[in-house]
Amino acid sequence: MDFKALAASAALSVVLCTGAFAQSAEDLKMDASTPGDILTYGMGQGQQRFSPLDQINRDTVKRLVPVWNYSLNDSRGQETFPLVKDGVMYVTTHNSTAAIDAHTGKQIWKTMVEYPAETPRVACCGIVNRGAALYEGKLFRTTLDANVVALDAATGKEVWKTNSIDFKTGYSMTVAPLIADGVLIVGVSGGEYGVRGYIEGYNPENGERLWRTYTIPEPGQPGSETWPKDSDAWKNGGGPAWLTGTFDPELDTVYWGVGNAGPWNASVRPGDNLYTGSMLALNPKTGEIKWHYQFTPNDPFDYDGTNELVMADMDGKKVVMQANRNGFFYVIDRTNGKLLAANKFVDRVDWAEKIDLETGKPVQTQLAADARSGKQVEYWPSAFGGKNWSPMSYNPDMKTAFANTLNIGMNYKAVEPQYRAGVFYFGADFSWAWPEGDRGYLRAIDPMTGATKWKNGTAIPRLAGVLSTGGGLVFTGQMTGEFEAFNSETGDRLWQFQTGSGIVGQPVTWEMDGQQYVTVASGVGAVYALFSGDERLANIPAGGSIWTFKLMGE
Amino acid sequence: MKRLAWAIWLLALLAAPVAVLAAADGTAIPDVSKGASLYKQFCSHCHGINMVNPGNSSFDLRKFPQDQKDRFVHSVTKGKGNMPAWGDILLPDELENLWLYVVTRGGKEPPPEGTLGQDGQPGSDKKASLETIEEGRLTACLPSNGGALSRRRYQGGAGLDYVLSEALAARLGLTLEVVWYESEPEEESDPVRETYALLSKPVCDIVPDHPLYESNIGAPPADRAAPPRWSTMPQFWTQAMQVDLVPVAATRPYRRAELGIVVGPKAANRTIGKLSDLAGLTVGVQQGTLGGVILTTQLPSDIKANSIMLPPGPQFLWRMEEGRFDATLIDTGAFDNHKVQNRITKLRLTDYRHPIGFNMGIAYRESARALGARLDAALKALLDDGTVEKMAEDTGVTWSPPRDPVVARALTTSDLFSMR
Repeated sequence: MDFKALAASAALSVVLCTGAFAQSAEDLKMDASTPGDILTYGMGQGQQRFSPLDQINRDTVKRLVPVWNYSLNDSRGQETFPLVKDGVMYVTTHNSTAAIDAHTGKQIWKTMVEYPAETPRVACCGIVNRGAALYEGKLFRTTLDANVVALDAATGKEVWKTNSIDFKTGYSMTVAPLIADGVLIVGVSGGEYGVRGYIEGYNPENGERLWRTYTIPEPGQPGSETWPKDSDAWKNGGGPAWLTGTFDPELDTVYWGVGNAGPWNASVRPGDNLYTGSMLALNPKTGEIKWHYQFTPNDPFDYDGTNELVMADMDGKKVVMQANRNGFFYVIDRTNGKLLAANKFVDRVDWAEKIDLETGKPVQTQLAADARSGKQVEYWPSAFGGKNWSPMSYNPDMKTAFANTLNIGMNYKAVEPQYRAGVFYFGADFSWAWPEGDRGYLRAIDPMTGATKWKNGTAIPRLAGVLSTGGGLVFTGQMTGEFEAFNSETGDRLWQFQTGSGIVGQPVTWEMDGQQYVTVASGVGAVYALFSGDERLANIPAGGSIWTFKLMGE
Repeated sequence: MKRLAWAIWLLALLAAPVAVLAAADGTAIPDVSKGASLYKQFCSHCHGINMVNPGNSSFDLRKFPQDQKDRFVHSVTKGKGNMPAWGDILLPDELENLWLYVVTRGGKEPPPEGTLGQDGQPGSDKKASLETIEEGRLTACLPSNGGALSRRRYQGGAGLDYVLSEALAARLGLTLEVVWYESEPEEESDPVRETYALLSKPVCDIVPDHPLYESNIGAPPADRAAPPRWSTMPQFWTQAMQVDLVPVAATRPYRRAELGIVVGPKAANRTIGKLSDLAGLTVGVQQGTLGGVILTTQLPSDIKANSIMLPPGPQFLWRMEEGRFDATLIDTGAFDNHKVQNRITKLRLTDYRHPIGFNMGIAYRESARALGARLDAALKALLDDGTVEKMAEDTGVTWSPPRDPVVARALTTSDLFSMR
């Protein structure tokens, strides 16, 4: 062994000795291929939400039974993404973080989150939290009042807490943080409150802010030419970044979606309004924007571009894909931002005929012009989107995405926006246009064509995350409480279980001692439940809990 | 809309042959459609659209007891359990409209008898000491809907005249008490008489934002006048009741109200030094206002041919945002108010100011000489050290220093035709 190798192995042993809780960058990178743990939001830095585990499969799923249930003691919507490491599960709610014995469901520790009573004023779409991040023995999360917090993963004790911004003017945080190249990255919410959105990098060691990249350039910066001159529109132009980005360690690039422009009334901000309704490719160390791609220029429809950006290798190309709120399924070369495919994945898309593959720009319809000019219009998909935040799954073996899609339209008229700090800033009158039949479909989608291979409709749409597995299954849940497993080839529902409250959480699967487990949070709430006025949900009890399932013996 | 009322009143002063249009919006009467829109803005994201909140994780407002208005007011303004407090954001009439929305089950049922409260002022301070001005307190009358100058909040207020009154009270070692009044731009309303009536009743000790004209200070313009509705108005009081007017004096001026040219994006890079610089632009004329009259009488004919007439009111500048016209002459205060409401604006106030302007001081009862002297000294100190200008900046008021003469003789028709 030469000196170099000796030094390298010494360094390695130091890493290994930092304790059972240590998660190195290498662990995070390998997460998708290590089914024994779940270390990253989306089950891998590419957020495919696919596991090769196949003990639970089309044949055995009928023996799937709950092994434990853990009460979150909270009546809000439960959107948490559970992490699992060394037999411990970590979950979050808006007001607590908990570590659970993954084997027994017993609580190891629980740490409360305190925030000022006024905070819920600025949470547009549910008092929620979407999960934590693990790195080198610490657990990281964000809070509704826009703090970033690090806890000791072993004890739950707070290690540091850094305030990102004063929440009172409309900023909040619900995002699960991302660890990329040793930097803790978060994005802010508040697109309906006249904020100026941003993404931030923190030092996970001590909470020091390393960078902040605004999603809206200030005058003089590149992109500022897409905002009206001699106007403060950019200062209140929206562009929140409220869902976790993905990370490609080989390209050392973070991909992060940017939300809607604000206010919704687009006539006050003529121009493309970069980088609202876009995705950004960022340098994780500096926050520098490498390139961008804009999905919805001059957005009047609340078509956030925040939806998860799933990484995959497709026909030898490194791609990132997104099922956008605006009804198009985008496949983009993640090395350079070039658009490879963009096709409609829902039945009705009114605002654009197509996306021009050469220019990357939408070919917009007269209806889009009418909406901007203040005419009363009905457009599909609605502000809920063709797909809302609930993350899809991508099965790389089948080259198929599985997503909960929405079939809802919107009656809309742009009106004078009235600003009041910390209050909704829409500039639009709106109501929903409901379809005759099902309001949502779980779809199997070909990413390159947008074509639906199969779909499963429900009267009340699903807004839960989706998981697919090597066992030929797709897991998701309904707001009426059913946790469900589907045949990934045919869409036949093979199994379901009533969880007691509605599901808007994110199912995951993991393995321990040779046994495959599936876990999901139950707890109705969030955007559809609050904004639809769907009376059929009135009899769904609130109350959050974590359910974990495994196969019972034959 | 006190500002509009002034503009209209000044026209009356000129006796100009222009129709005065009323634009009263009747805010005092609860309106269920306003309640519905407020509900969407403030409440829907927790209590659900149409008050349908699946899962019952927030209170089901469809079941709120219709006979418990006090409980409603308390929970909304102070917060309860998971519910945040909204008292510092909501306006009093907004709370009324919200209650109407809830108590009528979203406008689907008539309100049960007696549920709307007696005076339309729920939870307002009902202390009995209305007849006298209290020892140790400086009571200021401020319009509740005065835009960037004064805005009522459920708890406290905002705007230049509000913070200025606070600072003056502090300098005088007094506790500020604010009485809010409703100034409506109705044909018969006259802001000068309203100020005389408020001070004569007496409802308060001071009324800021008083234009310093010889005819506005000293002996009253009439023997008797009716005060506008005010927040601590006793239940027996009706708007038909008049009070004997007493003489009124005013402090030195603390700002100058002016008319400026506001332009839209088409004139983004244009320098405007005189009305003829508006050539090629569509000019909007706000009917029934001083700015409108000046435009009508002074615009060069080629520009006038390309102008459009629009009714007065806060919607006027929004029509400009929509691109209906590119330029107008308007009270800079109206533009300030527009900016308070519209955080994103394509409009710009140019440097042009019409020579007509009004020094604004603080009115008080002439008999309160010692109070007046102390107020004047305190105001001088706040002006000299730049505090007033800073306050104006913080509250979004376009501030111009007062000009001589401190008290103008009268506004004459020839003033209208003076050009810079």
